[in-house]
Amino acid sequence: MKNSIIYIFLLFAMVAGFAQEQKMSGAEATAFKNAVNATAKSTKTLTTDFVQYKHMDFLSKDIETLGKMSFKAPSMLLWQYTKPYQYSVVFKNNKISINDAGKKSAMDMGNSKMFNKLNKLIVGSVNGDMFDESEFTITFFKTTEFTITRLIPKDAALKKYIKEMELYFDKKNMVSQVKMTEPSNDYTTIVFKNKVVNAPVPDSVFNN
Amino acid sequence: MRRYQILFLTISSCLLLLSSCAVKTVDGFEQKETALKSYTAQYFSDPAKDYVYKAQISVYGRDFGGIFIAKKINDTLYRAAFTTEFGNKLFDFEVTDNSFKVNYILEELNKKIIVNTLKRDFMLLLKKHHDVAQQYESAQNTVYKSNDGKRFNYIFTDKTSGRLSRLVNATKSKEKTIITYNAESDILAQNIVIDHKNIKLKIELNYLQQ
Repeated sequence: MKNSIIYIFLLFAMVAGFAQEQKMSGAEATAFKNAVNATAKSTKTLTTDFVQYKHMDFLSKDIETLGKMSFKAPSMLLWQYTKPYQYSVVFKNNKISINDAGKKSAMDMGNSKMFNKLNKLIVGSVNGDMFDESEFTITFFKTTEFTITRLIPKDAALKKYIKEMELYFDKKNMVSQVKMTEPSNDYTTIVFKNKVVNAPVPDSVFNN
Repeated sequence: MRRYQILFLTISSCLLLLSSCAVKTVDGFEQKETALKSYTAQYFSDPAKDYVYKAQISVYGRDFGGIFIAKKINDTLYRAAFTTEFGNKLFDFEVTDNSFKVNYILEELNKKIIVNTLKRDFMLLLKKHHDVAQQYESAQNTVYKSNDGKRFNYIFTDKTSGRLSRLVNATKSKEKTIITYNAESDILAQNIVIDHKNIKLKIELNYLQQ
């Protein structure tokens, strides 16, 4: 009797375990992609705070960094770390400018394929516009809380940095969490919070 | 006989030349009898702590930053890793007092000259035991000289605090690398500067309170 109760309990636990992450059907994935693309398209501005957790297997705890991000369509982006250090990157007019605690530098990325990819990756991570099948092998999963998109790079250059990316979408089809796994299996998780969509964002925000 | 005289003169002038070029690290210091057999560095010694630093690297006029992490794994082993501000790992080394292993290094950085420089720097930074060969003193410092292969390490400790304040890696005639420490406690230096004298490379580390 006792054994069968345990057996039933285990069975439930297993079913619950499977229910946690369920692969989407083709039709579900298509509907989801369309919904995300529509949301991304209607996103003219976006500001959000984030917490970045860097996980390395040998550390006692993840390294935590706070920051904020501002995006203005089509392609202005500010990615700013505020605590415990100040470091910000602005993507604007095909240029990338860095402000490292007052030390400034700039690069033209017009002809840098890698930086263009990086820009697309960051913007895509935030607004979800990442479903480029020529760049990634993509699979879709759902849990009760999130829709998870798992992207595996096809490009050899990108593969050296990223083994796999996971985008967690909330029920409003907005990215709420990004997990980037490196070839060594160490990973970085970025959790977005206090997200504001389509509020006025002045261009001066993107001066670095 | 004359030949020997010339030989003698040549040798002695060579010796004179050598001694006049001798490293000036402990000039003006008084040599003392060695009181310590081995000096044990205390920074980075807490195995429960992740030592996380914001790094500024200046190499031949080019500046870039990143995050440096050191972690004591066990009595002899340290991990030394470096990531970008975004978190991407650039390298990850395993270091002991007499061994060095690359767990990971970004392909673009995997050049012999870079790896060897990083190896030398981080082995020096994380070296725990220094066998003391000679000891010097000034009003402020006690200095322990230790043999490090073909080179020497001069370990400057502050007489008042007892803490390691400077480490000079030198050959017989030239200072090669100088590490300067500003310490908050016996086990934590909140500011560390690794300065190279033979190449234009300077690494500054500032501790990040987690």
